[in-house]
Amino acid sequence: MGLLTNLKDSISRVTDGLFAADEPKRIGIYGPPNAGKTTLANRIARDWTGDAVGPESHIPHETRRARRKENVEIERNGRKVTIDIVDTPGVTTKVDYKEFLDHDMDKDDAVRRSREATEGVAEAMHWLREDVDGVIYVLDSTTDPFTQVNTMLIGIIESQDLPALILANKTDLPGSDVQQIANAFPQHETIPLSALEGDNMDEVYTKIAEYFG
Amino acid sequence: MPHQCTTCGRTFPDGSKEMLSGCPDCGGNKFQFKPASETTDEQPSPGGSQSSSADRRPATDSRPAAGDDDATAADDASTPDSQQPESRSPDAGSRTPDAESRTSDAESRTPDDQVADANRSDSEHVRERTEEDVAQASARSDVVSPDELDRASRDVETDSPATEPGPDTPTDTEGPRPDIDDLRDELNEQFESIRIVSPGKYELNLMELYDRQEYIISLQEDGRYVIEMPDAWGISDE
Repeated sequence: MGLLTNLKDSISRVTDGLFAADEPKRIGIYGPPNAGKTTLANRIARDWTGDAVGPESHIPHETRRARRKENVEIERNGRKVTIDIVDTPGVTTKVDYKEFLDHDMDKDDAVRRSREATEGVAEAMHWLREDVDGVIYVLDSTTDPFTQVNTMLIGIIESQDLPALILANKTDLPGSDVQQIANAFPQHETIPLSALEGDNMDEVYTKIAEYFG
Repeated sequence: MPHQCTTCGRTFPDGSKEMLSGCPDCGGNKFQFKPASETTDEQPSPGGSQSSSADRRPATDSRPAAGDDDATAADDASTPDSQQPESRSPDAGSRTPDAESRTSDAESRTPDDQVADANRSDSEHVRERTEEDVAQASARSDVVSPDELDRASRDVETDSPATEPGPDTPTDTEGPRPDIDDLRDELNEQFESIRIVSPGKYELNLMELYDRQEYIISLQEDGRYVIEMPDAWGISDE
């Protein structure tokens, strides 16, 4: 009986390993607009594949369609993790074209961007429901993390039992407050970084391998 | 003998119900109406006025005939019960008070009238207070030509967009606005996951977006959505 159980476990481990090798985990990079999600996605993609994922911008909702970079192979401490990175549009509960007017944009373009941003949020939520195996949640550490969007998204991620890594981005900026983010979500580990400067990326990769490997 | 079967010649008294399901003798369903007296009513026969106006209207789809059409419309409205097909009665009732819309009213009725005339000429003439005149005889005996039918159908196509907003021509330019607003409200009720506050302003219910099975792919400028239906629902399902 014990022999049979051991054999079964062995087969199970082998098949799990095979599936794991065949199908990279799909990791969604989520967060509010302008948190630095695309900057992080580009940083990861450039570091491990040499390519970028999409254009970065200081104008909110630059990413209005989910972009995927497949088969990003991250090697950490002798361990290889292959993931698909999904850079998602910033999630928000309100989109107003007027916020784009300050960025040298005429009204028509602003209205169009607003509509596309709304579609992007819908897409991001759809991906969260259907298509991601884990989440990297990116927050701007210079802003207040206690928002409806953050609370709701983290709640959804937890309810799905998805592995989630919370990143406190923009630590290179003067107003950065990593502790505030750690306090907001004490049930999760918070990793500080500057995706723009590449600060603390080593720890980020270690945690990615640990959480999603 | 106001009614005579055109097939076997049998006659029926005015108001006879025998012929309502066809001629009892030959089964024919075409009857000729011959009024008992030639004394005219105070107004011209409805069939006559309608058929003549129908002849006239396709050629005159602008103002000069408005006066005549007004009279026709008034005639129509004054005897809706006896002369209008049931489906038109409410229409006539609702349109008549709208004085400004008389012209477009008359124009938009043209195809109806032609169809009605065709029905009259083809089927029984059980109208009361109808007087025989040239136009009626023509309407009853002549077959409508394919050209006329074609023209009538084109009138419907071309007239309806022009006549529909006709009554409120001054607000014509902002005519579509209320429709879009209505549509927006309607969609907001159906899809509370995205509320369109105004063009370019949206409010999103994240939980609803997350919970919905269908995926909103794109928002149209007029407030419509394109959604991707879950595969399991099947493409053939509308």
